[in-house]
Amino acid sequence: MHRRLFLEGSLAAGAVSMGSFSALFSAKAMAEEVKRQGKKCILLWLCGAPSQFETWDPKPGTETAGPFASIPTVIPGVHVSELMPQCAGILDKLAIIRSMKTEPSEHFQGIDVLTRGDGPRPPFTRPILGSVVAQQLGQLDSPVPQFVLLDPCPEGNEFKSFKAGNWAGWLGAEYGPVRAGGEYSIPNILRPESITETDHADREALRAFLSRKFENDQASVAAAGYNAAFARVKGLMSCAPLFDIERLPDDDRRRYGPGAFAQHALLARNLIENGSTFVMVANGMPWDNHVFQHEMHQMLVPELDNVIYQLVSDLEQRGMLDDTLVIAMGEFGRTPWLNDARGRDHFATAWSMAMAGGGIRGGVVHGATDERGFDVASDPVDNRQLFATFFTALGIDPNAEYDLGDLPTFHRVEGNAEPITSLLTAG
Amino acid sequence: MWLPQRIQVAVVVRLSECTAIAHTMLAKSRTRRQTPRHATTAWHLAVVGIMAVGIVSNGWADEPESPEASPRPADLSAAIDAVLEQAWSDAGIAPADDITDEAFVRRVYLDLAGRIPSTAERAAFLADAASDRRRVLITTLLASEDHAQHMADVFDVLLMGRASGRRTQERHEHGWRRWLEAAFRDNRPWNDMAETMLLARPSTPEDDAATWFLYERNNDYQKIAEAVAPAFFGFRIECAQCHDSMTAAEVEQAHYWGLVAFFNRGKNEMTGSGPRIVESAIGGFSEFADIEGTSSPNLLSFLEADTVEESRPAADAEQPDSDELYEPASREGEPRQPIFSRRERFVEDVVRDHPLLARAMVNRLWAMLMGRGLVHPFDEMDSAHSVSHPELLDLLTDDFRAHGHDIRRTLQAIASTRAYQRSARKPDGVEDPATFAWYLERPLSAEQFARSVHLALVGTSETPPQVLDSISRAMPDVLPDESVTGIAEPLFLSNGSALEELIQQGLQPPHALAAIAALPSADDATRSLFLATLGRAPSPEEMATIAAFLAGHNQTAPSQEASTASLARLSHVAWAIVTSAEFRFHH
Repeated sequence: MHRRLFLEGSLAAGAVSMGSFSALFSAKAMAEEVKRQGKKCILLWLCGAPSQFETWDPKPGTETAGPFASIPTVIPGVHVSELMPQCAGILDKLAIIRSMKTEPSEHFQGIDVLTRGDGPRPPFTRPILGSVVAQQLGQLDSPVPQFVLLDPCPEGNEFKSFKAGNWAGWLGAEYGPVRAGGEYSIPNILRPESITETDHADREALRAFLSRKFENDQASVAAAGYNAAFARVKGLMSCAPLFDIERLPDDDRRRYGPGAFAQHALLARNLIENGSTFVMVANGMPWDNHVFQHEMHQMLVPELDNVIYQLVSDLEQRGMLDDTLVIAMGEFGRTPWLNDARGRDHFATAWSMAMAGGGIRGGVVHGATDERGFDVASDPVDNRQLFATFFTALGIDPNAEYDLGDLPTFHRVEGNAEPITSLLTAG
Repeated sequence: MWLPQRIQVAVVVRLSECTAIAHTMLAKSRTRRQTPRHATTAWHLAVVGIMAVGIVSNGWADEPESPEASPRPADLSAAIDAVLEQAWSDAGIAPADDITDEAFVRRVYLDLAGRIPSTAERAAFLADAASDRRRVLITTLLASEDHAQHMADVFDVLLMGRASGRRTQERHEHGWRRWLEAAFRDNRPWNDMAETMLLARPSTPEDDAATWFLYERNNDYQKIAEAVAPAFFGFRIECAQCHDSMTAAEVEQAHYWGLVAFFNRGKNEMTGSGPRIVESAIGGFSEFADIEGTSSPNLLSFLEADTVEESRPAADAEQPDSDELYEPASREGEPRQPIFSRRERFVEDVVRDHPLLARAMVNRLWAMLMGRGLVHPFDEMDSAHSVSHPELLDLLTDDFRAHGHDIRRTLQAIASTRAYQRSARKPDGVEDPATFAWYLERPLSAEQFARSVHLALVGTSETPPQVLDSISRAMPDVLPDESVTGIAEPLFLSNGSALEELIQQGLQPPHALAAIAALPSADDATRSLFLATLGRAPSPEEMATIAAFLAGHNQTAPSQEASTASLARLSHVAWAIVTSAEFRFHH
């Protein structure tokens, strides 16, 4: 409405003298940019579900153990898998939960619950963690996308179908992720040479004018989401270099290692440093090792070990660790026993995850499994408690009620779940 | 669970007993026809009961009898409206207003012809004073070539999945696309189409390309099973590969592997008369293991249909192949076929007269016109997904079965309802799209968008395949469960080459945009462009804005450059209109 009034005023004042048509529409554009001292979050999404035994909860000397030894860490009495020597050295900065106990043991349902925080309640779609954090902590007027999904692998079985779904849910499309990664980069991110920058901006201003008129006249939700997506184009184009892995220092790229997952974790750091609020790094669904579990984990875990080490160290060195929550987890864990293909199958009964920075206390191991890892022995943690902990660490009220008009009542975390206070830094 | 309690009981009783129950209920429902509002209840229970136990042998139930059950399409439309209106009244909902002729003509062209109307088509409709002009237009469009093209567009994706590049080209080269077009042009009965695709034994040259449904899956029997279930039965079965469905008990792991077994004796062979799936008389026996590791044989069973009997060799026994197990094809030059053919058994014993075949199809046709299925998503019609209006789904299913699986009749009836002809503006206080209390807005499919842009700016709706191909890569969805615009599409429309090339083509004489550019004044051009794209005149505010835009850059330039610049400016206006929500969405 402001826009329309402004436009009429401008036309009355003689629009023909203006150099750029789009200037007509920039009424509010330079509104003061309040920089919130918001927290940020990087989710290393280990899709497919890693084994707790080859990472955070080794079971040396039992039949569960597998071929890998356990090693001591800087926290006395706490051991991790020998595949994670670097994390062992900074365990005082990490928090481990060894007593995750969740329901779904199928990928799609597990991904749903562990990325949204709760199971589905059709026809309503709960927003994914990144959308909630971007909405709560992000700066929507920033040109840098607030929620980014970096995923170099377009495939990934159930994760592929999950990716095709609605991530932002009832928050609306503007809180959905910008997706990028790998060679795929962001398609069509550059302006074609056939059109000048001015014309490109002008015709978009005209498009927005026409399209918003329809949105308002029809009270159209679909058009609102559509227009919100277009509104992000210019900003995204302006920060295309942030997504360019080639521009990052060679030394950084070497430290993180050659793998696509590691390179994208580095890119996540770059985006967080430059204004993104939530970056989710995935790589298809590589952790679902029903076959040759040990061989596969022998490749995957050391890369993860290094990525966590580099990321936490870099953030700390830049003074950003206290404000940046790093989460590393999958949708469940793996069975204590091996199947006939020497794989470990899905196991949601007792599994592990790790966190660091951003309101999380380092050096804490929460909960425990029994001797062979068949079940949680103490302090079980479900998805709701886990999400209450994430939100609290990020300074977001976990129990707040969504304001959804006529929809049924939804809370950010259902069931009044409490955060795990021993994992939170004081205050 | 959408099954009423009574029916859940029926599910567990033995098949034979349940047949009796179902028939009793059918009989009762017939006697109650005269009270339409309640008659449907017993009828519905009966149908659900039969469906749930899946008595699907050949001729499992009588076709709904005529004439009472065979209303004219207009009566069917009225019956549909009656169900919806009763539901609104029960829920205290005031539905959206009726739409204007202007809104109707755009909507119905998009839904039935797959594109917006041309300026002339639109004007002809609006000039028609006849009271039945909407009905006449629906009938005309259903008989049009555009309709055949549109249905082929949609069903190519629904049956085969989105393809691009070489795969699309193959579908054209091997005649698949032509087969689809011809089937919809002739309004071929859906059960006939289904059987032809699934048997894949063409008895006439016209049906040669129907084999492509199986052939493109390239001997991947699981892929075939996972395609057959949603395409013809409205069920997704992927999860049942490893275990009985955890959300819908009726979808068992045995059905997944049973469906695989119906097809696993086929082998692709490129013959002189085209692609064929040659079937063996032996083999295809295996065991599948559930999560606990228990093995079961892959019997020929699907969705609780009677398991097709077949002698099964002992686990380690060698099964000799022999010519005696085969018979020659009835059509000369075709591959021989096994005397016991699993594919033939599937078609004759499972597919033929299977109630889900009609039920899945009418739900899909409803979704095409109304924006979502009576069961949503439209291809997950299992017990985990409820039916918004059960009696309505039964009504449509029965009518479809009673009228020879007539696709066009169902489309005609739905498009003729008042419910279809309601405003897309959601009434206050209603949130649930499953009420169908307003017309559900949704993005145009890639084909609808491309054909509409092509018509408005180039001048014809015959859009080159490569244009459809490049636009469908960026807009792959057809009947999406939800419509959410990500950032990829705005980037594609803003910076990609496909739309830009279409606009540039339009600017070349004698195409439509060039003709608009040649109009005497900028205001004339603006009005003409609005009419061609949005089917309406610009508002004064829009006129003024666009006038300012067109005047933006050519104040002082020499005339030659000014003319080039104004052409470019007009192309930007065209871009802004076709990427605006009003054009991009169906409403």
